[in-house]
Amino acid sequence: MKKKHTKGIEARKSRYGFMFVLPWLIGFVLFFFIPIIQSLVYSLSTVQVTGNGIATEFVGLEHYSYLIDRDPEYLKMLRTSVISFAYKLPLILVVSIVLSLVLNQKFKGRVFFRGLFFLPVIIATGVVMELVFKTIDSSSTALGVSDSITSNMFSIESIMESLDLPTQIATYIQTAVSSIFDLIWECGIQIILFIAGLQSIPASIYEASKVEGATKWEEFWFITFPQLGRITLLVAIFTMLEIFADNQNELMSSSYIKMSGGIYDESSAMLWMYFAIVAVIMGILVALYSKFLLKKWE
Amino acid sequence: MTKSVVSGKKGLTGSKVKKKALHITTTVARLVFLISISYIVIYPLLYMVLTSFTQETAFYSSRRIWIPDSLTTSYYLLIVEIIEYFKALASTLKYEIVAALIEVCSCAVAAYGFSRFNFKLKKLCTAMLFLTILIPTAMIIIPLAINYAHLDFVGILGLFNKLTGIDLRPTIINTPWSFWLPSLFGMGLRSGIMIYIYMQFFKGLPGEFEEAAYVDGAGPLRTFLQIIIPSSSVVILTVSVFSIIWHWNDYQMSTMFMNQDLPLSVSLLNLPEHLGIFGYHISDFDPRAISLMMAACVLFVLPVLVFYLIIQHWFIESVDRVGITG
Repeated sequence: MKKKHTKGIEARKSRYGFMFVLPWLIGFVLFFFIPIIQSLVYSLSTVQVTGNGIATEFVGLEHYSYLIDRDPEYLKMLRTSVISFAYKLPLILVVSIVLSLVLNQKFKGRVFFRGLFFLPVIIATGVVMELVFKTIDSSSTALGVSDSITSNMFSIESIMESLDLPTQIATYIQTAVSSIFDLIWECGIQIILFIAGLQSIPASIYEASKVEGATKWEEFWFITFPQLGRITLLVAIFTMLEIFADNQNELMSSSYIKMSGGIYDESSAMLWMYFAIVAVIMGILVALYSKFLLKKWE
Repeated sequence: MTKSVVSGKKGLTGSKVKKKALHITTTVARLVFLISISYIVIYPLLYMVLTSFTQETAFYSSRRIWIPDSLTTSYYLLIVEIIEYFKALASTLKYEIVAALIEVCSCAVAAYGFSRFNFKLKKLCTAMLFLTILIPTAMIIIPLAINYAHLDFVGILGLFNKLTGIDLRPTIINTPWSFWLPSLFGMGLRSGIMIYIYMQFFKGLPGEFEEAAYVDGAGPLRTFLQIIIPSSSVVILTVSVFSIIWHWNDYQMSTMFMNQDLPLSVSLLNLPEHLGIFGYHISDFDPRAISLMMAACVLFVLPVLVFYLIIQHWFIESVDRVGITG
C-alpha cells in the first residue's frame, strides 16, 4: 500500500518535471533541430529566394567541392581560423586560470580589482573593442604622428630598437605584446567561471593539505587543478565557441557577407565544413582530456 | 624590508620575521601584477574616451601626452545625429533587452525541470541541451531568418497556401517576435549556457525545500515560484547580467532578422561605411572620423557601464556564491 503511494508520487513528479521541460523541448524542435536539418539541406542544394519563401534543388556535394577545389580564398581562411584555435585556446585558458587564482585570494582591494577585471565582460563581447583596437593600431602608425598616445606612454618599438635584436624576433615580440591586449580582453567570462568554480571547492580539503604540510605549488597541482577539472572543460568549450564565432575571424565574416547578400547555399556549406573540422578537433581534445585527466581525478 | 626589521626589533622570532617578509613580497608582487594587468584593461577605454573629446588640431600637437590641449564635445553632438542614437537605443531595448529578460525567466523554468526531477528521456533531453551549447548560432541563423519570413512551423499553413493560393503565414522579420519567440521557449541567444548555470545552482539546493512545500499541498508550479525562485537570487543575478550583456552586444541575430530599426550594435558595426557617406573617411585616417567613431563607442558602452556600476557590488558577490562546479 505504502509502496504504491510513493510510486504514485514518483510518477506524478516525473510528469511535473516533463512539464517544466516541455516548452524548452518545443523550442528545441522548432528553433534548433529543424533549422539544423534545413541548414544541412541548404548546403547540399541550390537555394533561391522567391517571393513565396525559398526554392531548393538538390545538388549534392557541389558547393563543398567548389570550396575545396576552386575557391582560392576558402582553404586559406580555413587554415588561419583553425590555427587561431591552436594558439588562442591554451593561452586564454592559462591566462584566465592565473588571473582567477590571483583574484580569488584574500587581500585588500580585491573587490576593486575584480570590478575592474570584469569590465571586459561588459564591453569586449561586441564590436566595440574591435573598432577601438583597430583605431589604436592605425592612428598610431598611419597618422604618422610620433607623439600619439601610444608612443608617448610605452613604446615597444623603441625598446626593440635599443635592444638591437634581429628583426624577426623583434616583430614576433611586438605582435606578442600587442596580442596581450586582445588576450586579456577575451578572458572576462572565463575568469568569472573559474572564480565561481574555485569558490565551490570545499575549504576543508585545503585545511587537510595544510596539516599534511603541502606547499602552495603542490596544493595547486593536487587539489585546485583536479577540482577545477570539469569547469576547465566547460570554459574550454565556451572559449572554442567564442573563437569560432569571433567577428575578427575572416571565414566567419566572409560567410556573413554572403548571407546578407542572400547566397544561402554556399555560406551554409562554408560554415558546415568549418564547423565539422572544429567539431572533430574539439571532440578529440575533449575525449583525450576526459580519458586521461578527468578519469584520473575522479 | 624596513618594516620587517622594525618588527624584528620588537622581539619577534626569526621565523616570524621571515614569514612577514614573505608576506610583504607576495603582496607587492601581486599588486605589481594586478596593476600591470589593470593597465591593459584601462588603456583602451581611456584611449576611447580621450580621443572622443580631442579636437582635430590637438591630434597633431606635440605637447599631447594624455590629455589633449583643447577638448570638444562637438563629436558627440554630431554622432548622436549620424547614428540616430536614441532611436537605435530604443530598438536595442525593445528587441534585445526584452528578449534577454524573457530568456532569464524561460531558462530558469527549463533548468528547474532538468535539475530537480527524474522523467522519461531525461538523459536524451540533457544530451540535446549540450548539443544546443555546442553548435554555434551561426549554423542555424540562415534557416531561422528564412523561417521567420514566412512563419509556418508544422507546414499546415504552407500546404493551405499551395492549395488555395491564400498566404496566411505571418512574417515576423522586423518585428520584436523574431527575438521574443525563441527566447520564450528557452532557445534564444546562448540560452543553453544559461540553463546550464541555472542547473548547477538548482542541483545544490537542499531537497527539504520542496518536500516541505509538497507536504503542505503546494503544487510544483507554486513551489517553483514561491520557494525556489526567492532562494535563487544569486544565480538569477548572474544569469541576468550575462543575458543582458550578450544581447546588448549581439549583432548576428539583428543583422539577419532585421533591415530597419536597427539596434545600436549594428549601427556601430556599419559605422565606418556610414561615416564615409557623411564625408568622414576612416581609411584616410581623418582624425575627425576617428574621434567620431570613438564617441560612438563611448555612447554604445555607456548604458551597460552604468548598469554594471550599479549592480557591480552584488554581481561580484554572486559570482562567489553561484556554485558552478562544471
